[in-house]
Amino acid sequence: MIVKLNHLQGKAAATSAQDVIGTVYTLLEEGHIEKAQFARLQIELDWIQYKQNFREVVIATQGYNERGQQVPIMDVHVDTRQVVPGCLRAALLRALARSTPGAPQEQDRLPLEQFQSMRTSIVWEFNKLYWSRLHDWELATGKGYEQALPGGQSDGHNPEAIADSVADFWTLLRDLESKNQLPPEIYLLEIGVGTGTRCGMWLTKFRTVDQERGTDYYPRLRVLLGDYSLATLDMSKPAVEDHADLCSFLVLDALNPLKTLSFLRHKIMQVHTTNVYDNLPDEEVVRRDGKLYFVQVRAYLPMADVAALSNEFEIPPDKLRSTVSRLLSGSTDFLGDAERGVAFWMQLWNAIRLEERLVLVEDLPDFPFPQGLDAGKVEDILKEAPSDFRFHLSSGALASFLNTLPLLHPRGYLQVQDIFVTDLDQYRLGFYGPGKLDGSLLNWVNGALLKEVAERAGYNVRFAPFTYRKGSRTSVLYTTRRE
Amino acid sequence: MVGSYAMPGWLERLKTEYFARRISRHDLDEIYDAAAKAAIKDQEIAGLDIVTDGEPRRDNMVDYFVERLPGVQIDRSSKKFYYDFYDSVVQGKLPMASLGLVPDFNFLQTFTERQTKICITGPHCLSKRIRNQYYPSEEALATDIAKVMNLELKALVKAGAKYIQIDEPYYSGFPEDLPWCVKVLNTMVEGVDAKIAVHICYGNRYGKPSWEGSYRYLFPTIMEAKVHQLTLEFARRGGEDLDLFKEFNTNFELGVGVIDVKTDDIETPEMVADRIQKALKVLPPERIFILPDCGLFHLSRDVAFAKLKAMVEGTRIVRKELGK
Repeated sequence: MIVKLNHLQGKAAATSAQDVIGTVYTLLEEGHIEKAQFARLQIELDWIQYKQNFREVVIATQGYNERGQQVPIMDVHVDTRQVVPGCLRAALLRALARSTPGAPQEQDRLPLEQFQSMRTSIVWEFNKLYWSRLHDWELATGKGYEQALPGGQSDGHNPEAIADSVADFWTLLRDLESKNQLPPEIYLLEIGVGTGTRCGMWLTKFRTVDQERGTDYYPRLRVLLGDYSLATLDMSKPAVEDHADLCSFLVLDALNPLKTLSFLRHKIMQVHTTNVYDNLPDEEVVRRDGKLYFVQVRAYLPMADVAALSNEFEIPPDKLRSTVSRLLSGSTDFLGDAERGVAFWMQLWNAIRLEERLVLVEDLPDFPFPQGLDAGKVEDILKEAPSDFRFHLSSGALASFLNTLPLLHPRGYLQVQDIFVTDLDQYRLGFYGPGKLDGSLLNWVNGALLKEVAERAGYNVRFAPFTYRKGSRTSVLYTTRRE
Repeated sequence: MVGSYAMPGWLERLKTEYFARRISRHDLDEIYDAAAKAAIKDQEIAGLDIVTDGEPRRDNMVDYFVERLPGVQIDRSSKKFYYDFYDSVVQGKLPMASLGLVPDFNFLQTFTERQTKICITGPHCLSKRIRNQYYPSEEALATDIAKVMNLELKALVKAGAKYIQIDEPYYSGFPEDLPWCVKVLNTMVEGVDAKIAVHICYGNRYGKPSWEGSYRYLFPTIMEAKVHQLTLEFARRGGEDLDLFKEFNTNFELGVGVIDVKTDDIETPEMVADRIQKALKVLPPERIFILPDCGLFHLSRDVAFAKLKAMVEGTRIVRKELGK
């Protein structure tokens, strides 16, 4: 048995490690765990970044081959933040029993889908629902979504960060002008506009700097605010009212900005995005004993929550799945009134968990890697990576990244402020999500992977910690042209 | 073709395998030969009148020449990926010696009966990539590179080369260098008895432009260049700069880029024909050559082939309209 404690570094819950080891040994002695299984067991003591997440206190992740037969590999994840005295034994027994061949699978939970890549899981439909019905959610909680962020507001609004960003951009324009290479129209793109506050503040600051220095760049700016939610775009308009003549609002899929903006290929000077990549569909891979396993997930509701939802909203348990489908079709007033519909949605989202299984990748060259990756690149990247670890493929972030780069002017750059794993070695020290943030989903982004992929696309990537707010976990990705 | 054909993913991986010392030089050379034959055949099937070897042997447009330039030292450990540039340095006067490009030309001649073109990266571009620790100026380094290359061009002509293209994409990034660039270019082509084209684009590193702007910076200085043809990109950038050939009375032929090599979108023959017609408004047909904007290196083979076919079909439409 291997026990990984790294994730608990500096966390108060480290004391529960002894409890886990003691409990597992007891189960071994009592015959609940077979010796062969014990030898291959890998227990990870996790500290999930987001308290609201998709995990039960203990989950066992069994390995399978591509034909659905079990292979002798099992990861047991213990979310130490959720451990309460006396719960471990029962939770461990329950998790291990589920992985026993032939064990009844569905007694304690109601699956909401089949096992599949997390990228296509139903949880992303909940995420989409949240952004399209944000107003309903905010009305119910009485809080704006930014208040749910760590620190209570977006780091994107930090005035010092904005001033530095403006200064860098002005310097770039000045340099281009000195070489007679400044285009007549200067395009900027913001992907994921939020409340529009950052964009409004940035433009106001830029106008001030431009006027002070007498360069007259401000009237040449063409600012594109893109978001896939029309409701969010509408919400952002007041914040940029002062600069309305320069701004255009676009419904845009963050996964493929190029699709909407192909007419601006190689023309955009600056693309900025804050907390968007962490909110795009993702999937994970485990490397174990020299082999790769793809993590498949299945969303489910624990039976206790099924009963609670059923009682409170008078929905028979056998109608719960179809009720969820109706909710995800975009309607929140299906329970008679909108308020009740939102209450159901919130309670349901809070209850949803993800179970996992590992599926051996037997044919790497034909594996459906996300855009920008293939077997050769993955093998190259893994050469320098830890031998046993779990990492994000960051499929959505990769797609967005690669479909944004072609928009950049030869001297243009992309700035992404987000929660990044900036080095694959960091995966040794922590499990990075996914978590729930209000009604949305978020996940750390594999910045190390983006960096490698960017190099092949002609860009160097560097990460700068966001130093403008103490305790911020975000960092800023900057691209520069690679020669 | 401007020079390079699509670089297949499998060849990229094998090149990188070579740098990782997992396949031998001998095996790599055989792979290159096979890739070059395939590239030549694809161009013939697409219907091109003039073909190149597709340049599969070149890691990029710089290193293939830097490796061969006598007197230039390279750090072979400086490449992580085959497409990266070597770290190269010159610390003494370049000796006059062969670059060894004739075998490439002979190979091309052996495997096609079409007209051929060989492309060579120019001294200005190379002088921007080689760290200069000896010469008093970039111009002085570029001039000596041009002298070495002049010998090579003459050797190619002796081997039968009739059409040689010099690639100078960095002109557009450093327009202030142009006056000395033209002098260096003239040194390079002095006494070379072949059709000489100069390809000037806005860069194609990683399939994206390195600069933006207008070709106006070329005029009138470029008119002093003793070359026969300018090969320029117009498909991606639009045809506005074609008017420069009306404004300035040059004797150059014009290689008109009608295929955008920085997008996978495949042009229709009609789009190509339209682009050619725009060029015909400023120059007579006998002075126009039809090409892609730049090398097809960054496109997949399927896309590159389809684009070449569209280029040929578009040209046929115009030829028919012209009664040729």
